[in-house]
Amino acid sequence: MHARYLIIGSSHAGREALAAIRMADPQGRLVMLSRERHRPYSPTILPYVVSGRSDPRKVGLGSVAWFAENRAELVLDAQVVAVDADARAVRLADGGCWTYDKLLLATGAEPVVPPVEGLEGVRYHVLRTLDDALAIRARAATARRAVVLGAGLVGMHAAETLAGAGLDVTVVEMRPHVLAEYFDPRASTLIRETFERHGTHMMMGRRVERAAGVETEACRLGLDDGTELEADLLLVAAGVRPALRMLADSGIATDKGILVDTRMRTARDGVWAAGDVAQAPGFPTGAPMVNGTLPEAVEQGRIAGMDMAGDDDLRPYLGGIPLNTYGFFGRHAVAVGAAAAPAGDGVEVVTDEGDGYCRIALKDNRLIGLAAIDRVMDAGILWRLIQRRVDLGPVRDRFLSHPLETARALMSRGWR
Amino acid sequence: MNQLVNSSRKIVCDGNEAAARAVVLARPDVVSVFPITPQSSLVESLSQFVADGVLTAELINAEGEHSVLSALQGACLAGARTYTATSGPGLAFMFEPYIRTPGLRLPMVVSLVTRDMLSPQCVWGGQQDAMTVRECGWIQVYCENVQEVLDTVIMAFKLAEHKDVLLPVNVCHDGNYLSYAVSRIELPAAEMVDGFLGEPDVNWHIALDPDRPMAVDPLTGGTGPGGAASFVGYRKSQVRGMANALEVFSDIHVEWGERFGRHWAPLVEEYRLEDADYAIVTIGSMTGAGKDAVDAARERGEKVGLIKVKTYRPFPRDAIIAALGKVKAAGIVDRSVSFAWDCGPLHQDVMTTLFASPHRLALVGFIGGLAGADITSEHFQRVIELTAQAARGDVSASPIWLNEHD
Amino acid sequence: MASQDTIRFISERCDGCGDCMTACAKAKGSASRVAIVAGSDGGWEMALCRQCGDPKCVANCPAGALDKHRDSGIVDWFKDLCVDCHLCTVGCVYGGIVFDPAAGHVQKCDMCDGSPACVPACDKGALEHLSAAGRLHEIHADKEDMFVPGLSACQGCNSELLIRHTMRRIGRNSVVAAPPGCIPGMGTVGYNGQTGAKMPIFHPLLTNTAAMLGGVKRQYERKGRDVTVVALAGDGGAVDVGFQSLSGAAERGERVLFICVDNEGYMNTGMQASGSTTFGSWTSTTPVGEIGRGKSTDGKYLPQLLMGHGCAYVATASTAFLDDYHAKLEKALEASRTGFAYLHVHAPCPTGWRFPAAMTTEVCRRQVETNFVTLWEFTPEDGLCFTRGVGRPRPVSDYVGMIGKYKHLGPAELERIQASVHRRVEVLQGFRRRSTAAG
Ligand SMILES: Cc1cc2nc3c(=O)[nH]c(=O)nc-3n(C[C@H](O)[C@H](O)[C@H](O)COP(=O)(O)OP(=O)(O)OC[C@H]3O[C@@H](n4cnc5c(N)ncnc54)[C@H](O)[C@@H]3O)c2cc1C
Ligand code: SF4
Repeated sequence: MHARYLIIGSSHAGREALAAIRMADPQGRLVMLSRERHRPYSPTILPYVVSGRSDPRKVGLGSVAWFAENRAELVLDAQVVAVDADARAVRLADGGCWTYDKLLLATGAEPVVPPVEGLEGVRYHVLRTLDDALAIRARAATARRAVVLGAGLVGMHAAETLAGAGLDVTVVEMRPHVLAEYFDPRASTLIRETFERHGTHMMMGRRVERAAGVETEACRLGLDDGTELEADLLLVAAGVRPALRMLADSGIATDKGILVDTRMRTARDGVWAAGDVAQAPGFPTGAPMVNGTLPEAVEQGRIAGMDMAGDDDLRPYLGGIPLNTYGFFGRHAVAVGAAAAPAGDGVEVVTDEGDGYCRIALKDNRLIGLAAIDRVMDAGILWRLIQRRVDLGPVRDRFLSHPLETARALMSRGWR
Repeated sequence: MNQLVNSSRKIVCDGNEAAARAVVLARPDVVSVFPITPQSSLVESLSQFVADGVLTAELINAEGEHSVLSALQGACLAGARTYTATSGPGLAFMFEPYIRTPGLRLPMVVSLVTRDMLSPQCVWGGQQDAMTVRECGWIQVYCENVQEVLDTVIMAFKLAEHKDVLLPVNVCHDGNYLSYAVSRIELPAAEMVDGFLGEPDVNWHIALDPDRPMAVDPLTGGTGPGGAASFVGYRKSQVRGMANALEVFSDIHVEWGERFGRHWAPLVEEYRLEDADYAIVTIGSMTGAGKDAVDAARERGEKVGLIKVKTYRPFPRDAIIAALGKVKAAGIVDRSVSFAWDCGPLHQDVMTTLFASPHRLALVGFIGGLAGADITSEHFQRVIELTAQAARGDVSASPIWLNEHD
Repeated sequence: MASQDTIRFISERCDGCGDCMTACAKAKGSASRVAIVAGSDGGWEMALCRQCGDPKCVANCPAGALDKHRDSGIVDWFKDLCVDCHLCTVGCVYGGIVFDPAAGHVQKCDMCDGSPACVPACDKGALEHLSAAGRLHEIHADKEDMFVPGLSACQGCNSELLIRHTMRRIGRNSVVAAPPGCIPGMGTVGYNGQTGAKMPIFHPLLTNTAAMLGGVKRQYERKGRDVTVVALAGDGGAVDVGFQSLSGAAERGERVLFICVDNEGYMNTGMQASGSTTFGSWTSTTPVGEIGRGKSTDGKYLPQLLMGHGCAYVATASTAFLDDYHAKLEKALEASRTGFAYLHVHAPCPTGWRFPAAMTTEVCRRQVETNFVTLWEFTPEDGLCFTRGVGRPRPVSDYVGMIGKYKHLGPAELERIQASVHRRVEVLQGFRRRSTAAG
């Protein structure tokens, strides 16, 4: 079977590309393949599926009607196992084959399972798919003690959810801080303390070295400092890596992820990649980076789709900027850019704990990063200020004392 | 009041009320009114009939005659049988939509309660108003008495709406002399009038109706392709409608006579003309006094007759020629003036008509009854004398102003 | 996606009073969704949802809790789907969707069901409720175009726009009168047996439009048929010779909609002055010469006179504000079912007023921004209500300077125009209902 546009992966990057293609080309056959048996959904929603707050049937990213309106075919249960860029074809696990004119790889990321002795012998969970979430939810109903391995976004979300479900939760993180890829140590500490206040055990700077099964589902874990933990529910959330397996021998260049340029083109003609699977130029240096966040997947997906359809309005990618918003126990945090950049080497850091927490990193009077807790911030505006390297010189003091209002005023003026 | 429309009976009323009662019997859909002397009591009667539920028409109390006729044009284009009445300055104010009505081929009936025109300022009868608009394309008929007013207003609807005619009709009755003169008349039964007139069908040819969308009166003519032919086509058919009116109106009078027992001469009435040597020619209410004078002269052995012009527009050329063919001289009495010709308009028309006939006769023109002045039997006595004189070869210089010394 | 309703911020007019925020907070019972913030130059700036055509907040939502409504164009937020991830705030560069700590979730402007509370709260006129032509297109695109495709209107004339919009709305079950002037002049009623419109349409006289339509309507009422009856007249047929019949029909409450398309003169016959021609205007009968300085008196302001007739509905409109026009057309049509309705549409004429054809809509807008033209509606029950604020107008010279027919005017004459603009606004304010006028 042949498609003019073939998209692998039905999450944010794929969906956004689909919409962008249809803006420019209303006709060409457009097919989306997903290995899932569920209709498209976002991985970000999964913690809320675990907690029961989100109904799995309502969390769809694209309804049947939406696909119909966009004249796009969605093929479920279609796992791609190989890409042949010479033949412009992909092969499916069930032996099927699709040829294409233009291919988008939006296969996202998969959980990393760290090398822990005995882990393969025990029942553990990961959280990336809806089935994963439903399994954890089922298990949490009877479990008493949960151990979460890793304090990244997934681990922290899951820990809060499980704590909310009444489990006794322990988080083990080998790095000294939670969410270290986004927040500076002070912010991380504030977040961690909040977890602790809510009864979650936060074991920072520890490594799980051994795992052993106890009964059918429970297990015993041995940490590097000799601590022994028992868990009825073990969640491995030690990070993700791009889902590249099907690319072997395809000639598509990869590093940590699929290497793409500012139009999301891979090394092979007719193949694009976007989202968590891609390694795109980072901001401001252009050095390739995997920036596995949802807004980034959306942005890259749109650019890929526009380029695939030959949309003249395409503006090349400006470079990935780490960025996140994070709600926890009724509090809220935001981190944009190099929010954890240490002072010195031209970087100026101003922190303010007057009302919540705010850390601003400037370089040459330009914003390079900002982290805040319990402070209302417009993450989108801050993102733009960084990306456009807006000179804050004239409003520096105001920006430092009133970042929200000053950023809004700058943006509003720019838009008029 | 209801029995008024349901059974034939005799009543006493003036010409204005007779016209209003004729309108009730004609069952128009829309009536629009604005008062003016000497027409006012006519529209008062109409309004009262509407207020009493005797006349179930839409009554539009417009802010002036211009809008009166305009509103009726709109209503007619939407399929309404329509009626109004006016006089003198009111007619002048109505002129802009008035002159447009025949070209639109709207079969409306408008009574002109005739009045002399300003200036000098005057509020009394005279036919100057109606005569001024004699070239606008309206059919004009003039009534002699109150009964004829009633009968003619009803017949006018049938004439206007006739598919070979489709033109507006002015039924003229003299201000003061007919508007206020009271006499005993017979009011026909409503069902009989219904049977006579039938349902109105006034906009089959031109309509403002969403069920039959069309542009009404787009720009027509000019030097563009087909423009000239198109305009000529419209004008010719309008003229043809006018010409058809003579025969149609005659037929209507015959039918009227058969149904209601009153026989009026539709175009021209010949009175005691069979053996006459000479005749007087009259129009409107003066005819009564004229006939009296003729009767008196006949008593004295004068061979005089009378020709009454009822239908003035279109001008009944053949009927006039036939009537005048019987006499050697005619005295024509006008109640208005033709400024172009130093004579009355009727006189002018008669002269023009005679050119088409080999028959030559002596004509004497009289102008009388202006601004409410009476034309008495004595005046007619003089008319008869001067006409007899003309028949004998001694033709007085026209016009002779009958009320010059009154 | 088509563009949709938004709220426009006119920074120059804002004095930072925060009334809009108060109104929003009150209307929503939560933190204000519009934020006024101090600008760097002493002025004021605004953060508010723009209801973007291609909203990034929606694209960023993992939970399907945001959706751009297909018809209204409003970006809707659904509380029960939201999981409080705040990723939407990352997508927005306007500060239009913001976490509200008190509420515990994000909040955004929902345009208050089409009549935003903040806009009328601003008496400085700094907020304007805009809906782009795109939305009108959405509403009207499916309706039949009732008008001939090729027309002989002047380039840049806004009458065609107005006629098409109006006719599309009123549709086939109507009767339209187009008295002599530019409207039939451009072929609306047709030539030599051909028509310019798909509904019944006719040329009344310049003088008798309202009366004729009254007659048409009466007959249909008598027959129990519901037919919409509309006049598309120029200012001559309304302000001058048409005035008597218009006044009479208004007084009688004929169930008619009379639309006056006011180009301030007899433009079709060669740009002669009419009663509606404004002070100082050059026209071919008020020329400029050694002595002549254009028209020496002010124009007759017909909509005010129609208010005096107690019509069921009177409103003014400008084609630069088509959404406002459509809203008024809707109300006027409704009002014309029970009484006389009058719409006065200002129609700058590029040919006769001497400005570039491409500028018409800008000229229309400028008329309104300077209060040379005010947008309002009137009903006997509610009095006059401005549909666009009249506070803080631009100086009238900003408008006059765009128009060639005023080219000869000096400062004293400009001052007089400015004064009469002020005066008219004051007079109109007096027509507001006492309770609202007090506020
Ligand atoms: C629990 C959790 C919480 C998160 N929270 C946040 C957050 O708060 N903020 C944030 O910015 N990001 C968050 N993320 C990350 C965010 O969800 C991802 O960045 C985003 O989903 C990336 O989208 P994507 O389209 O690139 O890939 P994915 O969402 O990973 O989708 C890839 C799709 O491709 C399909 N696929 C993969 N391989 C194949 C194949 N071989 N054949 C067919 N189909 C295939 C998969 O089934 C999947 O549907 C979270 C992720 C998780 C798991
Ligand atoms: S905060 Fe709510 S609305 Fe915003 S992106 Fe998250 S789920 Fe969607």
